Amino acid sequence: MRINLVWEQYDVLVVGSGGSGSNAAETASEMGASVLLVTKDPLSASDTKISEGIATVRASGSADDSEDALSENLQLAGGDLPDVNITSAFAKDSQRAYDKVRANGLRPKISGITKNPDPLPLPMGGHTKRRSVGHKNSGVAFGHANWNSIVKDTKIDYKEDCWLIDIITENKKENTKSIVGALIYDAQKGKLLAVMCASIIVASGGLSTLYFPKTDTMRGNTGDSYAIAARAGAELVDMEQIQFLPFCLTSPPAFEGLLGGEPVTASYLGVLRDKNKKVILDGVYLRTRAECSAAIMKAVEDGRGTKNGGAYLDMTANKKAPKSGKYFMSFLKGSLPSAYNNVRQAMSKKESQCEDLWEVRPSAHYMMGGIRVDENCCSIGGPKGLKQHGISGLFAAGQAMGGLFGANRLGSTSLTEGAVFGQRAGKNAAIHSRNISGMNSLNKRLFIEKAERVNSLIGQKGHLHASRIKLTVQKECWENLGPIRDEERLNKTKLFISKTKKKLKNISISNSVKWNQGLIEYFELENMLDTAELMATAALERDGSLGGHVRADRPNISLFSKPYSTIVKFFGAGVNVTRLPRKQTEFKKLIKFKLEEQKKFLGARILRLMPMSLKDSVLERRYKKIMNIQKSSIAVSPGSNEAAVGDQKIL
Amino acid sequence: MTVRRTEDKKYLNVTIVTHSEGKDMPVDFKYQKRHEREKPMALDVLLQAQETKIPDLAFRYGCRARNCGVCTIDINGLPRIACRSVVRENDELRAMSTLPVITDLVVRRDQISRQLRGKIYRSSGGNDLNVDASDDYHELTSCIECYACLHNCPLHEKNRVDSEERYEYGNPFSLLKLQTIVMDPVSSNSQKNDAITQAVNLGLDTCLDCPGCKCGIGIDLKGKVVDPLIKEAKKRENN
Ligand SMILES: Cc1cc2nc3c(=O)[nH]c(=O)nc-3n(C[C@H](O)[C@H](O)[C@H](O)COP(=O)(O)OP(=O)(O)OC[C@H]3O[C@@H](n4cnc5c(N)ncnc54)[C@H](O)[C@@H]3O)c2cc1C
Ligand code: SF4
Ligand code: SF4
Ligand code: FES
Repeated sequence: MRINLVWEQYDVLVVGSGGSGSNAAETASEMGASVLLVTKDPLSASDTKISEGIATVRASGSADDSEDALSENLQLAGGDLPDVNITSAFAKDSQRAYDKVRANGLRPKISGITKNPDPLPLPMGGHTKRRSVGHKNSGVAFGHANWNSIVKDTKIDYKEDCWLIDIITENKKENTKSIVGALIYDAQKGKLLAVMCASIIVASGGLSTLYFPKTDTMRGNTGDSYAIAARAGAELVDMEQIQFLPFCLTSPPAFEGLLGGEPVTASYLGVLRDKNKKVILDGVYLRTRAECSAAIMKAVEDGRGTKNGGAYLDMTANKKAPKSGKYFMSFLKGSLPSAYNNVRQAMSKKESQCEDLWEVRPSAHYMMGGIRVDENCCSIGGPKGLKQHGISGLFAAGQAMGGLFGANRLGSTSLTEGAVFGQRAGKNAAIHSRNISGMNSLNKRLFIEKAERVNSLIGQKGHLHASRIKLTVQKECWENLGPIRDEERLNKTKLFISKTKKKLKNISISNSVKWNQGLIEYFELENMLDTAELMATAALERDGSLGGHVRADRPNISLFSKPYSTIVKFFGAGVNVTRLPRKQTEFKKLIKFKLEEQKKFLGARILRLMPMSLKDSVLERRYKKIMNIQKSSIAVSPGSNEAAVGDQKIL
Repeated sequence: MTVRRTEDKKYLNVTIVTHSEGKDMPVDFKYQKRHEREKPMALDVLLQAQETKIPDLAFRYGCRARNCGVCTIDINGLPRIACRSVVRENDELRAMSTLPVITDLVVRRDQISRQLRGKIYRSSGGNDLNVDASDDYHELTSCIECYACLHNCPLHEKNRVDSEERYEYGNPFSLLKLQTIVMDPVSSNSQKNDAITQAVNLGLDTCLDCPGCKCGIGIDLKGKVVDPLIKEAKKRENN
């Protein structure tokens, strides 16, 4: 059996229909480009749709929330790894980009006072200002708006159940590469699409499926964005920076990895304990996700982990406090309704009432690095980050792109990222295509060769199955490329990858042409392996702990040391890695930040060690204060686990 | 004397109906419980089947948490969201009956959205975006697009679902999308009128003799979608 090749021609190909893909397609189409949008999941089914639906809108909370304030906030939170041009673009566009999503039906609560979208009552996720706007029905509300943006008129062609397999480029003079199109497996129709186009927007999301456990991100997050772009020759940035959420569930199996809480919901008296009930981290509510994950995994490393390889989150002291205990419970339930819902379904009554300890463990969530682009989402490369050293015609937006978050992502920023950079990518891709003349017939050969490779897989005999090997990759990545790493493990990962790649030829693939699950699993497995290889190389280069990347065998990288990003790309049969110096925030600002942090930790410890009667009154007052403000906020439900609340320091 | 059926502590027997090239093939599958009291969801069963017995089993899923809406299958003939539906002894899992099956438990979904292509929101028309939407609007936008409501819908049943042609007749989901426009405070009057006309064109009159649709996640489709559309359509007819 053979899969037939079908030729298509468009100005712009958009891959993915989450927030970034939908915004990109709509904008490119408005700019007059002919657009094809393909997606492996049904239209708009994506991380965007299943998110908690909280979006950053600059100045929604206070008039003094300047573009500089927001951009600087992202810089500092990301350990000075983010690209200043990209954080500035984010700050500049956030309001306008968000309004464009609103034009497609997203309806936030409007403040009676400002007559503008009403942000949550307190700054979240390490934000210095109130600017995070919640939405009824969480991400599902964004899902509808994105769906509307594609379906509303007949200009954008879209195809569901289509897997991007490879991007096709052509070498031009002086070693520059340009896009000529892409090869896509249309599983629904049982066809291979050869899409000839001058611009491709990669908006195909993240890589959390490289791991198990993972939070409730989509199954299709198999690193396709990174692997496919890198195979085409693109550079990737900060690929060691993956965000693990610390407080995820360990059992029952159907709930494993799903979110139970965030650092902030541990509240004033919450602590982490090892299996012997010894405190391993206090002041949990002030900690970052990365710090909590690291503490848990260090205990597991030393053999002090709990039965299911985690630690205990102890919030019993909050609950026991005679006066403030009841406030704590409503704070916990109200802050992350859907995560608490997971807890209620998965844990015993005593546990969910915080009268007993929660067994928790970290779970993979978000890739902060990605395809190296400039603020207009164009692929760039080389030490100076120039367009002519990237791939001409390649654009990336959303989780697929790197450079916005660096070592840490602030809560509620990704949905805005999708809108801002989706729109920028759409605009610039349309302009790029306009400037490029038609294709010549010679290029067809490049497509046919790729299609031949796919067809040679159909009916491949073997004793192995890609779906099963995927599970071994998840295990390997968790153990050796996971929340805690060292040189030995990272080298093990690399060895595992090269061994597994050799097994690919022994994978059995059926003869079916339509929806060949074995073939789909094969492509995804290949992408997982390529992505893991790129990540492992970046992780070896970053020789210390920073943000989402924790090295057990190296010291912490101080905020005061010279910041650099890692750049990886495929080179021959291997991966090439370099360091890219980044601009450092002024020392004065850094010192202020550090001092404030230390003061908070100290304050938290003093409070925890006070006699109960004293601290109970303090806590009661504090809870009353935040709850009163919270009353005015909208209930965010139903929706999924809040995962983007980040290191919120709202208490 | 009654025989008390004792639940097996280790296994759960189910039938998974696979599908290829137009033919159904039921496969008996013994789900191995991961602990004695486990009550696995349908998605757990499918994942384990893929891991152990049917490596290339095709089924849709995404979030594992009843949000993405893509994992809907039929359990004993009724549409269920696989990631949050407990499976019992002897249950039969198969593709949804209301849409064409591609492979195994995967159905073709996109013809539902294509039905509305070019027929919804065109723009906010410069209207003020800073207005609050009603609770009813938000109830409608809680739809996760799982298509459970296609089951037993006389309107949807009028379509030849296997055909490549555009589905001529509507379904509860499409009507919900149209009613969302009617409920949206930002929609212009002409957009609202348009939406109602579209609903009529999709065969809204069939709903007159129908006891009403059922939503997989509990949206009041009859009270908040179908009845209001019929009321508005009648009003316009009388004018
Ligand atoms: C549970 C959860 C809660 C979250 N909460 C928030 C929040 O409150 N606020 C916030 O800002 N962020 C939040 N996030 C993060 C945020 O949702 C995502 O980072 C963001 O939505 C990513 O958008 P995207 O468009 O880049 O990718 P996605 O929305 O993931 O879309 C990817 C698209 O690409 C398609 N695709 C993938 N691979 C291929 C391929 N090979 N071929 C064709 N198509 C492909 C997929 O089908 C999909 O359509 C949350 C995430 C999760 C998982
Ligand atoms: S209306 Fe209900 S049943 Fe129908 S698609 Fe939406 S959520 Fe599913
Ligand atoms: S009321 Fe209309 S849409 Fe609902 S099930 Fe009946 S015919 Fe279908
Ligand atoms: S997997 Fe997303 S709703 Fe079931």
